[in-house]
Amino acid sequence: MASLKKSPWIVHYDGSSCNGCDIEVVACLTPVYDVERLGIINMGNPKHADVLLITGAINEQNREVVRNLYEQMPDPKVVVALGTCATSGCVFADCYNIVGGVDKVIPVDVYVPGCAVRPEAIIDGIIKSLEILEQKNKTLRDMASGAKEITIGTAGVEDAPDILALQKLAYRSEAEIYSDHTIPYMAQSPEDLKRDFEGMTFFKAVMNEKMIGSVRTFTENGICYISGLMVNPVYHHHGIGRRLVEYAETHAAGAKKFEIFTFHKSRQNIVFFQGLGFKIFKREKASGNRVRVHMEKQVKV
Amino acid sequence: MEIISIIAFIILAPFIGGMLAWLDRKITARMQGRVGPPVYQPFYDVLKLLQKESLVVRRSQNFYMGFFLIAVIFTGALFFAGENILLVIFALTLADIFFVLGAYKASSPYSFAGTQRELLQMMAYEPVMILSAVGMYMVTKSFYIKEIVFFKSQLVFYLPGLLFAFLYVLAIKFRKSPFDLSTSHHAHQELVKGVTTEFTGKTLAMIEVAHWYESVITLSFLYLFFGHNPVSALAAVAAGFFLVILIDNTFARVRWQLVLMSSWAIAVVFGLGNIFILFFILK
Repeated sequence: MASLKKSPWIVHYDGSSCNGCDIEVVACLTPVYDVERLGIINMGNPKHADVLLITGAINEQNREVVRNLYEQMPDPKVVVALGTCATSGCVFADCYNIVGGVDKVIPVDVYVPGCAVRPEAIIDGIIKSLEILEQKNKTLRDMASGAKEITIGTAGVEDAPDILALQKLAYRSEAEIYSDHTIPYMAQSPEDLKRDFEGMTFFKAVMNEKMIGSVRTFTENGICYISGLMVNPVYHHHGIGRRLVEYAETHAAGAKKFEIFTFHKSRQNIVFFQGLGFKIFKREKASGNRVRVHMEKQVKV
Repeated sequence: MEIISIIAFIILAPFIGGMLAWLDRKITARMQGRVGPPVYQPFYDVLKLLQKESLVVRRSQNFYMGFFLIAVIFTGALFFAGENILLVIFALTLADIFFVLGAYKASSPYSFAGTQRELLQMMAYEPVMILSAVGMYMVTKSFYIKEIVFFKSQLVFYLPGLLFAFLYVLAIKFRKSPFDLSTSHHAHQELVKGVTTEFTGKTLAMIEVAHWYESVITLSFLYLFFGHNPVSALAAVAAGFFLVILIDNTFARVRWQLVLMSSWAIAVVFGLGNIFILFFILK
C-alpha cells in the first residue's frame, strides 16, 4: 500500500561525522525545507523508524552501535548513507580507527554523496529510498504468503552462526514460559553448537537466502531423536515447522521410531507434535520444577 | 438513542481524533512558519504501522495495549451513553493503567522512565477531573452525563475556577509541552519515546488510535462545561484545543515536580475554592 511511502519515519545516527552533514539533516526540518509536508518525521527511536540515516564514516567503536540500531528497526526498513564519509569513508578511509563506509557494516540502499551533503540531496535520497522500502515490503509480503519459495535442506557447519542467532530468537518464547533464560538453547555457545555438528544431522529452512528455521536429529539404536526445532517467530503459522520435521523424518535412515521431548508448560509444542502423529509415552521430573514430556512415533512400514 | 450515540462514537471518534491530530500538527507547523503535513497524514501513519513488523521485548506487552484500546473505547461508550461521570473518570484511569502496565512489561529504561512520569501525570490531573465531577454534581444535582449536558443553564457560570483548572490539566492529558514528560510526538533525547519506546507495528498503531479516542473523550469532557448551548460549546472546545497547541508551541518542558505541584495547587485553589464558594451560594 502507498501509506508506507507517505509516512517515512526517520532515525538519524552520526557515525564519525564532522557535523557538517548533521547540520544539513537538521536543516531539512526547518521552515525552508520542511520535510514534515512529505510526512517525514525525525523519530529518534529505531523501533519506530522506517529509514535509517547515517552520516559520517563507521569507526571501530560504533560499528556495533550501527548494527544494533539496524537490527532494532522493524522490517521493512531502508538505510540511507548521507555524505561522502558515509558512502565510502572519504579521506578518513585509511585511518587506523575507521572501518569505512556504512556498507561495511550493514546493507545500504541509497548512497547520497556530498561534502557536506545538501538538504535537497538528502530529501531526494529519502524519496528514492521510499521506492526501495515499498519494494522490500512487497517481497516480505510475498514471503509471508507464499511458503512455496522456502527450500529445506541439510545444513553444514558453515550455517552454525545463523542457526545460533536463530535459536536465541526462537527459543525466547520458551524461556519466557519458564522464566528461565538459561535454558540450553538460549545459553548454547558457538563452540558447543559446532561440536553438535559432529554427532547430529542439521536441517535448515531457507527463504531468499535467509535462514528462517532449523531442526537437528541423531539416530541411535534405531531411534531417531529430533530436537532443536525452531522457526523465526515472524514466520510462525506458515507450516514451516511441520515441513522441517517431515523432511527430517524422511532423511533419517535406519530409524524405526522417532522421539522428541519438551516440557509440561509448552502446550503449543505438545499439540504441534500430536498433530504430527506423536504420542506421549513418558513424563519425568526435571530440574527447576519442570516435567519433561517424552513423545514418540513409530515409523510407518 | 444511547445505542446510536455509542455506535456513532465508536465509528466516528477515530476519524475526529485523527483530524484533531492532523490539526495539531498543521497548526503547529503554521505557527513555526512551515507548510505542515497533508490532511490524511495521521491515517497514513497508522496504515503504515499496520504493515510493519511487530518487535517485542515480551509478547505480553502487546496484550496490555490491546486492553488500553478496549478500555478507552469502553470509557467513551460510557460517556456517550450519558452514564455516571465518576464511572467515566475511573474507566479512563483504568485505561491509562493498562497503558502504564504495558510499558512496564516492556522493561526498558526508557519505557520505565516514561511509566513513572505517566503515573505522576495521572496523579496531577486526576484531582481536577474528580473535582470537576463534584462541581457539576453540586450545580445539576446529578452525576449522570445525560442530565449534566442538558442542564437548564451554562455550567461555566457556576464553575469558572474548575474550568480554569481543567484547561490547565488539558495539556497534561494531551501529553503536550510543557507537560509532555511521559511520551511525546517529538524526539526527546533522554527519554527516546518514553512509554511507547518499545512498541512497534500494529501495537503502536493501536496506541495511536487509542490516543485519538482519548482526545475525543477529553474534549467531550470540556464540552460539558458549556453543554447548555451546543454552538458556544463547540466554539469553546475548539478554543480550548487551540489553546493547548499554542501553549505547546510557546513553552519549554517543565520538571515533574512543577507539573505535580502546580496542578495540585490549581486544583486546590481554583477547584476546591470554586466548590467552596458554590457551597455557600447554592445554600
